Amino acid sequence: MPTATAARPPFDPELDAVFALVRDLLPPLTSDTIPEFRALPANPVELTPDALRDAGVTRRDVTVPGYQGADMLVTVLARADHTGTGPGIYHVHGGGMITGDRLLGPLVMLPWVAQHDAVLVTAEYRLAPESPDPYPVEDCYAGLVWTADHAEELGIDPDRIMIAGASAGGGLAAGTALLARDRRGPKLMGQMLICPMLDDRDASVSTLQCDVGTWTRDHNRVGWDALLGEHRGTPDVSIYAAPARATDLSGLPPAYIDCGSAEVFRDEDVAYATALWRDGVQAELHVWAGGFHGFDMLASHTAVGQASIAARDSWAARMLGS
Amino acid sequence: MQELVGRLTALDPEASETLKVVAYFDALVASGVGLDGLLRAAAVLSGVAAGAERRGTRVDSTGRRLDAIGDVERHPERVGTGTAVWLERTGSLHANDEMVVERLALAVELLETHRGPVSSLDVVVDAGRSADERREALTRLGIDVAARIRLVATGVGDAAPGTPTTVVPTRNGMLRATVDSSGRVSPADRTGLGVWVRADHAPDSWQSAVIAYRLTDATDRIVDATDLGAMLILAHSYDPEAPHDDVTTLAGLDALQSTVLRALVEADSIRSAAARLGMHHSSVQARHDALTRDLGYDPRTPIGRMRYVAAALLLRLSDDSTARDRPPRRHGQ
Repeated sequence: MPTATAARPPFDPELDAVFALVRDLLPPLTSDTIPEFRALPANPVELTPDALRDAGVTRRDVTVPGYQGADMLVTVLARADHTGTGPGIYHVHGGGMITGDRLLGPLVMLPWVAQHDAVLVTAEYRLAPESPDPYPVEDCYAGLVWTADHAEELGIDPDRIMIAGASAGGGLAAGTALLARDRRGPKLMGQMLICPMLDDRDASVSTLQCDVGTWTRDHNRVGWDALLGEHRGTPDVSIYAAPARATDLSGLPPAYIDCGSAEVFRDEDVAYATALWRDGVQAELHVWAGGFHGFDMLASHTAVGQASIAARDSWAARMLGS
Repeated sequence: MQELVGRLTALDPEASETLKVVAYFDALVASGVGLDGLLRAAAVLSGVAAGAERRGTRVDSTGRRLDAIGDVERHPERVGTGTAVWLERTGSLHANDEMVVERLALAVELLETHRGPVSSLDVVVDAGRSADERREALTRLGIDVAARIRLVATGVGDAAPGTPTTVVPTRNGMLRATVDSSGRVSPADRTGLGVWVRADHAPDSWQSAVIAYRLTDATDRIVDATDLGAMLILAHSYDPEAPHDDVTTLAGLDALQSTVLRALVEADSIRSAAARLGMHHSSVQARHDALTRDLGYDPRTPIGRMRYVAAALLLRLSDDSTARDRPPRRHGQ
């Protein structure tokens, strides 16, 4: 097990100032305070009716079969004037496996829906600890299967579906892509893994370094404990729950991976990109200097936040543009 | 994109938006953020574009750069020494616009100050500098090292009550430091007066001025550190990161308990405390008993009074009043 011999890299100065404002406002996260965390107001990336209207995007909710046929809500976002088929974005929301809902995250992807006439489907997968592994990732996979099966009526080209998610959503997106590969399920053209949560083993240097931030080592253990219970950190964890454990990444779709240099997920995200390259898979990796977890969402106005968003928009344009 | 202040307010409805504007700019200055970052902050706080004359920089409300200055609406605008900053609000001003521009102007002014070599006064009040460095800086300021001076602490936004003046980071945010050698300062809104010292002991005076400033409030707007007498020694040695149990206990009392306690300490008798509080004698007596239990000492004995007064002083030197109402920091931060 590595040991952290040095402090983590400092936060970017602009991010440091934003963090100074919010650090005392975040409620403590323990296994007992998950309900309080779920009730947090004012998510900076919540999808609002105003944002939809400004982007010229319409929304409809559909109930689809989740894992083992259970009802699952999905929201479909498309341009009001969408006709024919365009690229598809299958979105998996973040929230540490324990919180969040399907409207958390698509906001930053609205420009892609508008500019590339893409259709976005976002899934209300079940959350841990009430629904531990494999419910979250299997719900996500079931939603992807439904999206591919209904591509034509959704206005999606079934050969051009990309999966995308941030944080726990990034980890679940990577796990869903692995499931799709191994079950010969829907073919994905890309996977956008935004600061993904990939590794339950609580052992990387960045994990040991990051005990202060928007998502700390303690938070991370709460999330993985909720998902995996007593199996966390043992050999008995599937690669679909913790994709960092996959030893063969060949045959996966091209990946976009980003993270901050001062966050828990830094080392597992860099390692995942490295493993993709090793196995001959295309991957683009951005590690933003001085970024804490989710800096681009909490502080999108900062210079480093803007750079991160621009890089992601660029990859999305290369993936979704025709 | 939502205005940043709105997001923060939703997370913490108790703190005022004004407080957050000030806190955010203080944090940006403390982190050493440059002009572009300051403008991004002003723009995202206000939700409209912000600009500065220096280098013709403008950014929009999401922080993106705009074309250089054309014929834009500067509303409101602050013109400082050598620079102008503004928001581009069309129509009537929003509640925090003036405050945002004021803090932006101050931060940009500080940036200008700190672009050059560190100001001589910064050196003079810095206990971390050697005595030789401080003496040289005094000479540059034209102040005799043996002269009697005191430092005056005011808010950064207040006009300097004299010269020379500078802005200094403290553990409670930025404060303006001004030298007074005449005893005739024109006090600002809240003013902390340091003790009189030989000029080459200016850091002692500045430290006491900061303590005095922390003790000002709406009623006592000017506090002179000299008036604290020997209590100043206690205040100097206090580490707010490691408060004494007496301070923590006081901080944990509710408003009514605090009011009753203060009356019990200040009144000649329980009966006169009860009269002052408009409460029945027996219920004040009961509260006295309960407080004695909670505090671990009787606040009406001479020693107890002393403990109360010391703890009350130190409580006021603790981090800002909102922090006192919050539980201790979490996650080992």
